[in-house]
Amino acid sequence: MKLRELVKYLDLDVLAGKNLLGRNVSGGYAGDMLSDVLANSGKGNVWVTMQIHPNVLAVATTKDLSGILMTNGRKPEAETLRKAEEKKIPIMVSLLSTYKIVGRLYELGIR
Amino acid sequence: MKLKQIVKILEAEAITSMKVDLDIKIGGGSDLMSDVLFYAKPESMLLTGLTNIQVVYTASTAGIIAICFVRGKKPPKETIELAEKKKIALITTSLPMFESCGRLYKKGLLGTSEVEGVSKK
Amino acid sequence: MKGRVKHLPRIQKTQQLAYELKIKEAMNKKVLTLSPEDTMLDVKKILKNRRISGIPIVQSKKLVGIVSIEDLIRCLSAGLMNEKIKNIMTAKVVALFSDEPLVHAINKFDRYGFGRFPVLDHDTGKLVGIVTKKDIIQCLLRALEIHYYAQESKRKHRYRADSLFKEILSDWTTLTMIYHVKGGDFKKAGEQSDRLKENLLKLGYSDEYIRRLIIAVLEAEMNLAIFTSGGNIIMQIERGKITVRVVDHGPGILDIELAMQPGYSTAPDFVRELGFGAGMGLPNIKNCTDEMRLESIVGKGTNLEFCIYN
Repeated sequence: MKLRELVKYLDLDVLAGKNLLGRNVSGGYAGDMLSDVLANSGKGNVWVTMQIHPNVLAVATTKDLSGILMTNGRKPEAETLRKAEEKKIPIMVSLLSTYKIVGRLYELGIR
Repeated sequence: MKLKQIVKILEAEAITSMKVDLDIKIGGGSDLMSDVLFYAKPESMLLTGLTNIQVVYTASTAGIIAICFVRGKKPPKETIELAEKKKIALITTSLPMFESCGRLYKKGLLGTSEVEGVSKK
Repeated sequence: MKGRVKHLPRIQKTQQLAYELKIKEAMNKKVLTLSPEDTMLDVKKILKNRRISGIPIVQSKKLVGIVSIEDLIRCLSAGLMNEKIKNIMTAKVVALFSDEPLVHAINKFDRYGFGRFPVLDHDTGKLVGIVTKKDIIQCLLRALEIHYYAQESKRKHRYRADSLFKEILSDWTTLTMIYHVKGGDFKKAGEQSDRLKENLLKLGYSDEYIRRLIIAVLEAEMNLAIFTSGGNIIMQIERGKITVRVVDHGPGILDIELAMQPGYSTAPDFVRELGFGAGMGLPNIKNCTDEMRLESIVGKGTNLEFCIYN
């Protein structure tokens, strides 16, 4: 499944990387602790989190994640979004909670 | 959803001595305590990878009645003792957060509604 | 909006109960029944002696029909009292299931205008009870009464703090508690909020009130532990409100406006690994409380004050 489809089905707000939505999603990873995501996420995963600290970008780059999905309507700072465009990391936002969005992703077949 | 059902769905292990017929109304997953305080609803279960003692203080304040540690995390003695005292059930699963939330949602455990905070009446 | 806790109007509570309560909680489990081979004379005897308005007809433990007082009156005036019930009864019986919510029964009473409904068990299909409008009303009243007493006892409990202030004669009475918080002590952080909470429970404040206050206190306690070398939480209880002052001589906050922004945090990375430092502490406090004031001088310390009215 591509990021574009997730954006469509889950009604996500794309704040960065609008031109990168053709990426394939290999699976999903949920968690707010940077060290954990660094250790356990998989390449191409879409990362579901409430963490909006600028360090998330470094994690996404290092693990080659397909994008970051922020929940509960959380938006990172403008500076973080600018860096995200630069580093080519799609940032999407949902108003739903992490639990709910993961549930929906799971329903769509993302593992 | 009953706690014993959740234990089955997540192939989980009980840590505290707890009532298996505890009725969990809502599920939530987070590793950020301030967000748990802001968004959590009473009679809910928190899924988290955090095992420090503040998780229990936070859960107790927010009205959470059960905590499931994901990714095989097991809490230290202080956390377990405090949870027993506060009558908060602790379970642990080797499944990651994503799989855990996904399975529970699929089996019908609801999440909180969009963007609601504790102050809204 | 943050404000006083409002009590649900009685009518809304009744509606809520109608959805929550199940028919099995209202129904009469002692069901009198007759067989289709019995006669209308038997019906007359039972309806008269037991003062009921209808009776389900059962054959081999299965519900096969129902006879009402209206049927009896028809038979009386037509001289059909020796007829077998099976020739008079209504075979197509509208029934309810014991695990359905009360509101289904209410809707069916409305729709059909019958006086009673037999109640069946969902799994076995057996007749397990009978329910009338009166049963529904009594069940709702009972539940409301229980709810009312629960609220009353909570209110009485709450009266302990109120009565303290009423009975002591003064121009102003206050109860003050002080809690020390050590900076950097993550083994204990959270403990003081917990102690504070126990006291509020003893003083009889409502669960909802305590929840709002303790969320704010816990966030403040964590801030003291994370950012400062230590400080004090001073809770001042007086009639009508609780004020909490959080004082430290720590580093101080450089930019208060920035600090109040959700998501902004100056916490060191290791704190993030503990689940804190998401930058929601101060915004959370503002959200939960009625009034909040934050003052800080870099190098000297910070003074946070908030209160919730009751």
